[in-house]
Amino acid sequence: MSGLSLKEFFDAVREGHLLAQRCAGCRELAIPPKAFCPSCHGKEWERVELSGKGEIASYTIIRVPPASLAGQAPYAVAVVRMAEGVSLLGRLVDFPLEAIKVGLPVVFTPLIQGDQPLIAFKPS
Amino acid sequence: MAVKNHRHGALNPKAQFQKEITLEQVLKSALIADPLKLYDCCPFSDGAAAVVIASEEVATRTRKPVWVLASAQAGDEMCLHAKRDLSRALATERAAQAAYRQAGLGPQDVDVVELHDCFTIAEIVATEGLGLFEPGTGGIAAEKGWTALGGKVPVNPSGGLKAKGHPIGATGAAQIAELATQLRGEAGPRQVEGARIGLAHTLGGNTATVLVSLFGRDRA
Ligand SMILES: [Zn+2]
Repeated sequence: MSGLSLKEFFDAVREGHLLAQRCAGCRELAIPPKAFCPSCHGKEWERVELSGKGEIASYTIIRVPPASLAGQAPYAVAVVRMAEGVSLLGRLVDFPLEAIKVGLPVVFTPLIQGDQPLIAFKPS
Repeated sequence: MAVKNHRHGALNPKAQFQKEITLEQVLKSALIADPLKLYDCCPFSDGAAAVVIASEEVATRTRKPVWVLASAQAGDEMCLHAKRDLSRALATERAAQAAYRQAGLGPQDVDVVELHDCFTIAEIVATEGLGLFEPGTGGIAAEKGWTALGGKVPVNPSGGLKAKGHPIGATGAAQIAELATQLRGEAGPRQVEGARIGLAHTLGGNTATVLVSLFGRDRA
């Protein structure tokens, strides 16, 4: 049984909490939630909350956006390595674009667009 | 990479872009998603390709058949953040190893390659994953001209996704069509001299699935 649904995950993001799952079998962390553990294929998960702290592992600045994000470019997207060891993709906010670097410490913050909560990170 | 693939495409009457470009044009083109610029990205194209597969018995009665020596698939996580190493394509490495094992061949046996150069960096990562070059040296190999026509192991003589074009669903079959043309010695000005073994590297979903196939001019 999954410890966390995608809806619960994004409801928590909206409230400013970053939830993950820990595999009951092999203890691997997974985020966002998934049905099967990629390491041991187990289906028993425990719910855990992450600290939200991490550092930029890689990033890009989108200059030509998809149609759904027209008007928002340029904006930055990063893969963030979380303090707990898992990585997560999110928007970078409150950063001057020219100041973004691999290795910079960041902290999770929700970004609400329309009615949709998105994962974002700001300087910590 | 972009200059090389456009140079190849200029020799392919079926390529979408049959025009050479200069390094200066590439470097001066607009940023799309840092550090990729316009000429680092392949187009989306209209196009079609077909492959006729036959039994061994029928193939032997056919004009210049090309032999399937191996075909292996491997998977990986689709999301970028879930990749174990952002600078490598694990599914390419696994599929390539399995294909070489099936055929009893190694990367040193490959004469011509058609691979998924959706972006210039993708060609570098793929040449490393296919074992043609050590991890981290694919860019240097390209710069030295080893992957150009006339080089050690020509990559994307068709012009690749970059210049031949990327008709998404037809791209994989088009790679095989190019290899068949090469192995039959019918590629005209873009012919890889004496090509005996060809490799096709086809992928989808951000390297979530990769297929590596090996083809031979001669029966294994
Ligand atoms: Zn597990």
